[in-house]
Amino acid sequence: MHTNEEILKVLAEIKPGLHPAADDELIKTGLLDSVEVMQLVMALGEEFDVEITPADLREENFHTIAALCAMVNRLEEE
Amino acid sequence: MSYTSFGYLFLFLPLVWVLWAVLPRRGRPAVLLAASLLFYWISSGRYLIWMLAAAAVTWLTGLLLGRLDTLSATTRPELSPAGRKTFKKQLTGAKRLAVGGGAAVLLGVFLWLKYWPFAARSIAALLDRMPGALSLTVPSYVLPLGISFVTLMAVGYLVDVYRGSCRPAAHYWQVLSFLCFWPHVVEGPFDRWDSLSGPLLDPPRPSYKNLTFGVQRVVWGLFKKMVIADRANMYVKAVFDDYTQYSGLAVVVGTLLYTLQLYAEFSGCMDIVLGSAECFGIPLAENFRQPFFSRTVGEFWRRWHITLGAWLREYLFQPLILSGPWKSLGKFCRTRLGAAAGRSLPVWAALGVTWVAIGWWHGAGWLYLVYGLYYFFWQLLGEIFEPIFTARIPRLAELRSRRWYRLFQVLRTCLLVLGGMLIFRANGTKAAIAMFRSLTVPYAGSLLIQLDARDLAVLAVGAVLLLAVDLLHEKGIAIRQRLAAAPLVLRWAVYIAGVLAILIFGAYGDNYDPAGFIYAQF
Repeated sequence: MHTNEEILKVLAEIKPGLHPAADDELIKTGLLDSVEVMQLVMALGEEFDVEITPADLREENFHTIAALCAMVNRLEEE
Repeated sequence: MSYTSFGYLFLFLPLVWVLWAVLPRRGRPAVLLAASLLFYWISSGRYLIWMLAAAAVTWLTGLLLGRLDTLSATTRPELSPAGRKTFKKQLTGAKRLAVGGGAAVLLGVFLWLKYWPFAARSIAALLDRMPGALSLTVPSYVLPLGISFVTLMAVGYLVDVYRGSCRPAAHYWQVLSFLCFWPHVVEGPFDRWDSLSGPLLDPPRPSYKNLTFGVQRVVWGLFKKMVIADRANMYVKAVFDDYTQYSGLAVVVGTLLYTLQLYAEFSGCMDIVLGSAECFGIPLAENFRQPFFSRTVGEFWRRWHITLGAWLREYLFQPLILSGPWKSLGKFCRTRLGAAAGRSLPVWAALGVTWVAIGWWHGAGWLYLVYGLYYFFWQLLGEIFEPIFTARIPRLAELRSRRWYRLFQVLRTCLLVLGGMLIFRANGTKAAIAMFRSLTVPYAGSLLIQLDARDLAVLAVGAVLLLAVDLLHEKGIAIRQRLAAAPLVLRWAVYIAGVLAILIFGAYGDNYDPAGFIYAQF
């Protein structure tokens, strides 16, 4: 099981200086735009060796660090 | 039939609404479909056949995808784990073949009609420069009305069904109703099946609120189109069509007025179509969200023509990055250039492809490629320098929260957008370059080009009104709800003032050249 801290570490590489809490909104607040989301997708795939498909690219999977972590754990189990 | 024509506003729309309202609930979807087919036939004549055929391909492909999903649901539980894996692989292959085939037919017709004449023209020009007797006949096609919008909506529907994010339509008439719904068939917005099918196929009861809110929005759209856009068009047409005669401030004013024209016209058209649909209780997707308050070029395109950006993001940009070749590119960049390049370069490459698609969606020509690449250049520059600035300027985050810095960002974005507008309106790439160069040459003539001081004053007041409404929306104030809660006298005074403004200041009649909707040609 991966943790929010591991996700935050990957996010910090994409967007240095961004330290959201686990439940902070990332998409609606504009903290992450569509380009950064896709860079995050590439980085998560590489870091955790999971395959993120277009069907996974839903806002509910990316809107908070906790949601991202849940998605990575789910994909790893599948 | 134009959305601003007498026939549409005073015959088609009211008659369809009355018929729709008096019929029992079960008959209402049929009224909407019949009205959409009539609208398309009046506007496009025999090209209605293309619409019927496109809907048939879309429906049949969706049905096939649905059947494959049903087959999967009934067969998989009966198989062994190994059998399930093989079956899943076969089923995925069959679904890919089905969605690929359907999309290829729809996109093939669209690409052939819209882009082959341009490709043939470019090849013929190349052959002319080469020795030999090779030549190529350049065809000329008439595009069916709304082909760019309908094709992308149909492909979006098929991909959604393929991904399992929506159920396929059971009946042909349902897909036809969705694709040829008259408010979105000419200029969009790009609606999605999962959000539109409910109210379209099972419309709500007629309501006074929906009707009045819808009519208000139509009137506001007419004001933007007829008072602002069509008046600005006369100045813009003169400057851009005869650009060698103008320079300096005349080109600046021409570009500013074109920006005002395009925004007033396109967002005005969206107000008319969204208002028309709202009269029937059908919410279409919003296409604008105060774009001129954007702080970056990327943000501007998330607020301008929102549904086109969303379509390209979801069905081109994201799938490209997740595709095999892009993953290989990421791996290549990672091993050769490091982790940061491995995750950034493939995304930027997909961004480039998306901007080219945005450019060429607007038109088949080299100018539109330049238009797309112009925005790609500025966005890429931002992407490259953002981490550098963040690392080198520790106060940047604090600066960005300051009001004056936000204003600077907004003005900077507006300036870059103005450059894009000049390219977009110029009569070709050479004309765009000449107009950019002429900006440094002082203009000595009168700035009252085709318009008198009164016209310019009306435009200025219109622009201020547009800005004020956008500012209120940006602050989260729902103007129509506030107006609905206002006293009767005030409410009707505003309605009457709006109609009178269109009648008195609208650009129509013998002295004006009414402009067609710009986005209808795309």
